[in-house]
Amino acid sequence: MSSHYSDKFVYHEPGLQHQFDDMGQQEESVSIGMWFFLVQEIMFFGGLFTAYLVFRSKYPMAFAAGSNHLDAFWGGLNTLVLIVSSLTMALTVYYAQKGNRNMQVILIVLTMIFGATFLGVKAIEYTDKYNHGLIPVAGLNKKVKAEAGAEHSAAEKPCWEVDHNAPPVEHPNPHGEFIWTDCSLAKMALDENILTASEKNQYLVRDENNKPVIDANKFRDKVRIFFFLYFVMTGLHALHMIVGLGLMTWLLWSAFKYKYNGDYYMPVEMSGLYWHFVDIVWIFLFPLLYLLGRHFIHGG
Amino acid sequence: MNAQEAISTGYGGAAKLNYLTNGTTLKSWLLTKDHKRIAIMYLVTVSAFFLMGGLYAATIRLELLTPASDLVESGTYNKVFTQHGILMIFFFLIPSIPAILGNFLIPIMIGAKDLALPRVNLISLYIYWLGGGLTLFALMQGGVDTGWTFYAPYSTTFSNSFVMLVGLGIFINGFSSILTGLNFIVTIHTMRAPGMTWFRLPLFVWAHYAVSLVMVLGTPVVAITILLLAIERVGHVGIFDPTIGGDPILFQHLFWFYSHPAVYIMILPGMGVISELISNFSRKKIFGYEFIAFSSIAIAVFGFLVWGHHMFVSGQSIYAGMVFSFLTMVVAVPSAIKMFNWTATMYKGSISYDTPMLYAIGFMGLFLIGGLTGLFLGAIGLTVHLTDTYFVVAHFHYVMVGGQVIAYLGGIHYWWPKMTGKMYSEFWGKISAMLVFVGFNLTFFPQFILGYQGMPRRYASYPEEFQVLNIFSTAGASVLGIGLLMPAVYLMHSLFFGKAAGDNPYMHPGLEWRTSSPPPTENFEVMPVVTWEAYEFGEESGMDLEAAKQREAVTA
Repeated sequence: MSSHYSDKFVYHEPGLQHQFDDMGQQEESVSIGMWFFLVQEIMFFGGLFTAYLVFRSKYPMAFAAGSNHLDAFWGGLNTLVLIVSSLTMALTVYYAQKGNRNMQVILIVLTMIFGATFLGVKAIEYTDKYNHGLIPVAGLNKKVKAEAGAEHSAAEKPCWEVDHNAPPVEHPNPHGEFIWTDCSLAKMALDENILTASEKNQYLVRDENNKPVIDANKFRDKVRIFFFLYFVMTGLHALHMIVGLGLMTWLLWSAFKYKYNGDYYMPVEMSGLYWHFVDIVWIFLFPLLYLLGRHFIHGG
Repeated sequence: MNAQEAISTGYGGAAKLNYLTNGTTLKSWLLTKDHKRIAIMYLVTVSAFFLMGGLYAATIRLELLTPASDLVESGTYNKVFTQHGILMIFFFLIPSIPAILGNFLIPIMIGAKDLALPRVNLISLYIYWLGGGLTLFALMQGGVDTGWTFYAPYSTTFSNSFVMLVGLGIFINGFSSILTGLNFIVTIHTMRAPGMTWFRLPLFVWAHYAVSLVMVLGTPVVAITILLLAIERVGHVGIFDPTIGGDPILFQHLFWFYSHPAVYIMILPGMGVISELISNFSRKKIFGYEFIAFSSIAIAVFGFLVWGHHMFVSGQSIYAGMVFSFLTMVVAVPSAIKMFNWTATMYKGSISYDTPMLYAIGFMGLFLIGGLTGLFLGAIGLTVHLTDTYFVVAHFHYVMVGGQVIAYLGGIHYWWPKMTGKMYSEFWGKISAMLVFVGFNLTFFPQFILGYQGMPRRYASYPEEFQVLNIFSTAGASVLGIGLLMPAVYLMHSLFFGKAAGDNPYMHPGLEWRTSSPPPTENFEVMPVVTWEAYEFGEESGMDLEAAKQREAVTA
């Protein structure tokens, strides 16, 4: 055993911290630490996935309806962007090990561009939700004044006959409430008798003939839970992306300064692990949120 | 002679620098990366929170002296017991042994210079201060009245107290716990000295490995739960509100998924301390080392599978209840394994009744009662009668106070000479250990009877026929309070007037006793190479028994 503190002539490798004996021990420690950090991240998101699971199995039609409103094109594009950014990140680690500074810088910049693209697309999507009154917290949506004397088709027709391609101006929303007027999926499920027990309990009221019919407001509340989970899950994911971009900025600076080479590249590798983890979370979020309802669109 | 040489000149050198004297400025403390200094800063803060939680407890006991709600009104009483719970659980019990004794001892016990991630360790202390500060701020603003469990929809819709601020404090504080656990796991994996194999680790370290797993796996779940609770309270999106399709039982599931394992965060480190105390003060190799080590891991694993036993009467499916009831019985087995092994270790040991050993023996009695009454509550039929009565209160205080607090005090007394280099008054130590034991039993045993007779918990008033036992309980609380305040006095006194403890006052073989008291910043003058098994007391231990005895004669 060497004892560093008593021997000032011991060669210190540049990145070696005082508490370690050698780089091997340091790399092993940092690596185990990062993996356990990612495990706690999984548990963190795990709570949300549990909530998703519970409510999706309780209210499948409300979740399908909400999911159909998400644009699978944007979601798919973001999936593609993130997968490619994982490739550039992995290549960054490779070139850090090789000590190739120029390739590191180029690849980190590319990774950052992809990350920023992802966040830009997310911003477009969030704006769309804002315009359509789909943010689940009342008051946070775009406030649309009710036009005096205008006819509101939504108010007259039953909720399962609402034309959901109608422009948003048809839904006046003076207080920025959460708005959802279309319950055609629930109606379809009611007609085909595939509503779950908790759905029957929670969507339906009795009409004057004592026949069960869909209650528009009750159905809306369940769709709101879908959008709540959508915003919390993608929001937390986006927060992790922003932290990742911060890490990338730091890496870019250090790589630019020739800090990483075959002997010292752990910061790159650890940031890479983090980046891949955030990607993988998205790989789960995309099908759960964007694709789940598409099965029902054409009555399939 | 420079500082480095002074450290390596061996015993008794007047100029010898230890971790306390190596830098005396405030900055050298606040920016330290030394796990020992961080542990001392935790000790000071955690003790302050313990005192505050204790004052709330005193208020509760005084209020319950009479049947009427006369000292405080019901609304205030709700806040008092809530804040007692929050301070004691999140800011005292959870960080007590891991953040103080674990932080101080784990690197020394495994022969390392520091924890693997010293900066993360310092960050976790600051996070603890931030979370604790926010919570104290919230309490000064007016406090919170939801019970420490924050059950929805009361906490999300109806409570008019500072739920958000306290929730934020606990949310932040959770990350302190996560980072501490992560640091311990990494340290135990990678920082062990040459020869310190997994099965030579002191059982204190095994217990902390298990508890760290629980911290890393459980705490993030309660963090996300508090986040959902906060959004629900602000935005009323309906996730926990049953009137619009939300699910309050989901909140309970998520909450107890962390908060039941958190019970093991609170008791496992105590069990680690007790393993050390029992073996060392019996001067006998611990009986069934592997069984105790793996029972800690088993408790950590099974601890994650029993959360539903908090929800037997709250709308959970009866079949889930049966499974949780069975698993609750299963989790009692590893605890019992520990109890049997400790008893077997004492058998034919050469036991000395120092203060820490008195605490350890007290622990065994109290934890036995606490554990066995847990089986009453885990039995799915009987629990319907006992839920939300004082029986539950008595049960978890027997485990949390009779278990963890007693173990914590035993540990603080045991390692005090190592941490400070000073010996406290053994006489007053024994008096206080016995007062705590007597006072504790007088406080909480009557509550078993009260609960069995049906006195509900969390009420400021109660029917008159319960008064006699409540008077017993309050009287006991006074004795317990005195017993708990005494160490604060004589331990502080020993800092200034205590005699020097010597490096190994008890002649114990652990690595922490093979360095000076207090240890130098780098923990060891020569980094150790371990050639002995854990808890070896004879020649095999590699200790210079004769030299150690002589040194003891000089210092004693």
